[in-house]
Amino acid sequence: MRRHTARQKLAIYALMILVMVFFVGPICWFILLAFRHPSEAYTLPPQLIFEPYLGNFRDTFVEPGNNAPQLVNSLIVSSGATLLSLPFALSAAYALSRFAMRGKEFILNWYISLLIAPPIVFVIPYFILMSWIGWAGSYQAMILTLQTLAIPFSVWLLKSFIDEVPLDLEEAAWVDGATRLRAFFRIIIPLALPGLIVTSMFTFVFSWNNVLFPLVLSRGSTVTLPVGTISFFASTGVYWGHIAATAVVAMLPPMIIFLLLGRYVVRGLTFGAVKG
Amino acid sequence: MLNRSTVNKRLPYILLAPSVIILLALILYPLGFALRNSFWFWNLQTSPMPLYHSGWDNFRMVFLVTPFNEALKNTLLLAGLGTFAQFWLGMGIALLLHTHLRGMGMMRAVLIMPTTLAPVVAGFLFRYLLEPKGGILPWLLNGLGIPVPPQGFLGNAGTALFSIGLVDTWQWTPFFAIVLYAGLLSISEEIKEAAQVDGASGWRMFSSVTLPLLRPIAAFLVMIRFMQLFNSFDLVYVLTNGGPGTASRTLSFNLYREGLVNYNIGLTAAMTWLVVIIVSIIINLYLFFVFRKREW
Repeated sequence: MRRHTARQKLAIYALMILVMVFFVGPICWFILLAFRHPSEAYTLPPQLIFEPYLGNFRDTFVEPGNNAPQLVNSLIVSSGATLLSLPFALSAAYALSRFAMRGKEFILNWYISLLIAPPIVFVIPYFILMSWIGWAGSYQAMILTLQTLAIPFSVWLLKSFIDEVPLDLEEAAWVDGATRLRAFFRIIIPLALPGLIVTSMFTFVFSWNNVLFPLVLSRGSTVTLPVGTISFFASTGVYWGHIAATAVVAMLPPMIIFLLLGRYVVRGLTFGAVKG
Repeated sequence: MLNRSTVNKRLPYILLAPSVIILLALILYPLGFALRNSFWFWNLQTSPMPLYHSGWDNFRMVFLVTPFNEALKNTLLLAGLGTFAQFWLGMGIALLLHTHLRGMGMMRAVLIMPTTLAPVVAGFLFRYLLEPKGGILPWLLNGLGIPVPPQGFLGNAGTALFSIGLVDTWQWTPFFAIVLYAGLLSISEEIKEAAQVDGASGWRMFSSVTLPLLRPIAAFLVMIRFMQLFNSFDLVYVLTNGGPGTASRTLSFNLYREGLVNYNIGLTAAMTWLVVIIVSIIINLYLFFVFRKREW
């Protein structure tokens, strides 16, 4: 390990403080906005010390609280998308991890090309399809179509976790007479459980943060929270207090989940490609 | 690898089938829908069904009615410059983190915060900061004597697209930083010591030892981010709505406007196929040149 002189240390810390101010400062400033009285949103020069005001949260989530149901909608859609993707992804990830087969590289690349394809291409036909089959604005329309992202992502990430379960353990179970299915449930599932939880958490966050699908496929009563926030850019003006209050609530679950994920953050964000 | 019986030969395909079938259905339907309707005149405001066969008209109209070329140029510019900036800024921060001075671990944990936000939330955040009257950034820049366009950075045709790129860079540079940092950790001390014995240090060490060893990770990150930027919609929608005029339209936003604002389904279908072809070319070039020998 290299030693740094005092001057080098000073320069590194100075740069790092600039980096932190640039990347974290704006978030803090926005959180403060949620606690400001709407009349003080634009006070310049900026006031760091002010009387905290909770009215923005009260208006949006309590009384009249139009955004409270949207919070529930976000939970339903994100959990639904996560739960639906798991069985599909788990069986595919197991197959790709444990078997030699022709076209494996192709299939893995196919999943990833879905992840990086432009979703808008799919969403417009879905919009028309859903109104034809009577699913317009329904939860299931969003949950089903989000699978185009949730399944490929989960397959990749889960595969990286199953790859790490030693094959010997599974083979030992077979020698003891366990069927492949039984060995799967007794060996793979318990040992890959952290991986399953991590994958679910990431899928939940990505579904939670997705705006395009709910923007196009929801209706008034099924709108998710991030989409609901957009409506405060009204023609009559921009309601910054309400935007900040709802956006701060919308950003909390992903932030908390990322903090819980700790050392798995790198792996999840790279679909399991970088172990971190 | 295992081969217990003939059942096992078919088993992996049976296990793959459910996910492949549901995904194929979810992809082929929209693509087929777009292919058929690209040859039909259909505006959803006037008819719930396609009206008449219109040959290649929709494909011509894409270029006549919508700013397709401008959107393509904007998209490539945004994706190219954005990925470049994020990669090198992220690399710089990763090297700072890699000094392992006291406090770096905590800073790394906090640094990822922008990446956890929904892109729309990042969009709101910067609309507030960039607000021409009362926003803190124009106020700071004015204080430093840097001129701010009177309509604000988002309302000015020359700076709107650049501002979108800046917000995306703010959001995703931490992602590059922490992943490249993980890559730096994976480079073994022995290799670095061997290079030091050979007299390498500083820049030479970085360019001929560190960087080549990070290549597989870097190639993967660059592909993912380039395509995510290529697909930019959320930020455009919240920050500029494609404007002013059409100055910051991306291909995704252009599709959205034509399909879900103007309801020109036939024209949108034709444009969808043009975008699908462009994206396929990019992905396949990438897979061919960079991933031919996949190293991860």
